Amino acid sequence: MKTASSPSAVSVAGKSKPKTGIRPTLPERIFNVFNYVFFTLMGITTLLPFVNLIAKSLSSEAAVISGIVNLWPIGFQLGTYKFVLQDAAFMNSMKISIFLTAVGTALSLFMTTITAYPLSKPRLRGRKWFLLMFIFTMLFSGGLIPTYLLMHKLHLVNTLPVLFLPAMVNVYNMLIIKSYFEGLPDSLEESAKLDGAGNLRILFFIALPLSLPVLATIALFFAVYFWNDYFNAMIYISNPSLKPMQLFLKELLLSSGDFMRNETLNVDAALNTSPQSIQAASIMIATVPILLVYPFLQKYFVKGVLVGSVKG
Amino acid sequence: MNQSAANQQISRPHKGYFATLWSDVRKDWDLYLLLLPGVLFLLLFKYTPMYGILIAFKDFNIFDGMSASPWVGFKHFEKLFTSDDFALVLKNTLIISLLKIVFLFPLPIVIAIMLNELKNMIFKRTVQTVIYLPHFLSWVIVSGLFIDILSTNGGLVNKVLVHFGMEPIAFFMDTDYFRSVLVATAGWKETGWSTIVYLAAFSTIDPQLYEAAKIDGASRWRQIWHITLPGITPIIVLMFILRLGNIFEAGTEQILAMYNPTVYKVSDVIGTYVYRMGLGNQDYSFTTAVGMFESVIGFILILTGNYLSRKYLHRGIW
Repeated sequence: MKTASSPSAVSVAGKSKPKTGIRPTLPERIFNVFNYVFFTLMGITTLLPFVNLIAKSLSSEAAVISGIVNLWPIGFQLGTYKFVLQDAAFMNSMKISIFLTAVGTALSLFMTTITAYPLSKPRLRGRKWFLLMFIFTMLFSGGLIPTYLLMHKLHLVNTLPVLFLPAMVNVYNMLIIKSYFEGLPDSLEESAKLDGAGNLRILFFIALPLSLPVLATIALFFAVYFWNDYFNAMIYISNPSLKPMQLFLKELLLSSGDFMRNETLNVDAALNTSPQSIQAASIMIATVPILLVYPFLQKYFVKGVLVGSVKG
Repeated sequence: MNQSAANQQISRPHKGYFATLWSDVRKDWDLYLLLLPGVLFLLLFKYTPMYGILIAFKDFNIFDGMSASPWVGFKHFEKLFTSDDFALVLKNTLIISLLKIVFLFPLPIVIAIMLNELKNMIFKRTVQTVIYLPHFLSWVIVSGLFIDILSTNGGLVNKVLVHFGMEPIAFFMDTDYFRSVLVATAGWKETGWSTIVYLAAFSTIDPQLYEAAKIDGASRWRQIWHITLPGITPIIVLMFILRLGNIFEAGTEQILAMYNPTVYKVSDVIGTYVYRMGLGNQDYSFTTAVGMFESVIGFILILTGNYLSRKYLHRGIW
């Protein structure tokens, strides 16, 4: 395989060519083209369902029902979004989700961080046992029914705290934060100690400010978890006024389309919008918050995940 | 750090373990205090349910409570191994999980390698941003997107099928296709995100290896085959162990968001079965036994995988 590649690299070292590197061989060039085409297609495949959904949410009832909407809205209207945003049940579920996400993220980030900090100190006696105790829960669990019965016994069923209290200490995220703390230089802590700072002062005024990237990442993970969780709500919440948005959406989705009908939203017959459009608009509204924060946080979470995964 | 620890031992050589522990706790009492809430939460929300597994060996009745319900030994486990339901559910779980492993485990590795070969950084970043995105959507949203795009009433995929003269397929209602839907949608949601781990692993490979290979005239293909792949083998093995440990988790959250009674026969897995029979029919003891079977086997698989990985690759999860 030393056709066109080697001369530029070895023999003409004296003549400074503007092009760095080696000219690709023909198979390499074919591969490159294939690669760009492949990833363009993959990107399109990823986005296609959204484009389709947006088109449906913006199309008129007649167009959606006759199934002619593809990637572009037909009979453009904004009534569907207006309708969804005025629906009391939908808005209530959204409020519940916002509350859960805000409170859940703040509490779990706090709890997970204060747990990670002591465990990042090698001098902490019993550290190994504590760690083992935490890691064991990642490998083995009591399972759904015993957990449900515990919540029942604690009178947490059909209350909102059941949706964030048990999630407050996430072992996986804790390990990521812990390994980040371990990477901070020891000398910082020592010099702070010489100045008379205690452990808590060191944590809050030195370690935490230095750990903002990883904390932002984990905060994002928690926020996404609480925003997206429907499973716990499905298990523990039956009171309609306490249902978070994902659960509300799930019931809305399963209520029509290819499935049997069962009204969750009360569609006014006079309204120029189809149940399909309403579903589409609801899905879009539930997705918008993530779409909005995602590009800004991307650089943080990728870095954060890399820290976590390489150290494992 | 080490020195101060050594000094301590020299200055107080005769103290017992508990005395040293006590002095450590007094010195770093605030660190232990920080740890306390986490440990209490763990004991309450994780370890108490483990104790609750005992109801698998009892005829649990929610009115009598845990201690008053009578012991029945292995009755529920005997029922489990003779029940047709369980056989079906176990079969579905393994089939769906294996399909996902076969089709979706190698995919992120291949895609990460291909991503790594992209030289245009703007294109690469854009692609990454797009393919990571679905990971951040809930299964409810994903099932909503696909119910729509796969529907027989104006769904894009069926339009394409009809265009090529095929019969439309009710993917979400068809027992022949539903598992493929599960695998494909799981791939759509997580493949991009799963590449991150491998991309991270690439960064640990010594760039000098590539330089040397280039000087020896190795093509890109040979560089991938002889440097990149061996370089990420430990991570691949690690991910594989983790995946095998989860073989009984065929994707409960996904399936619960996507299935419906017409496809229970091919998609009811251990997790969904425990949910429906346990909470729906309040068959607490039996479904706890089912769940315990899942946890114990998963635990054994992870331990075994980790042991093998440590023995042969000198690297484990812990």
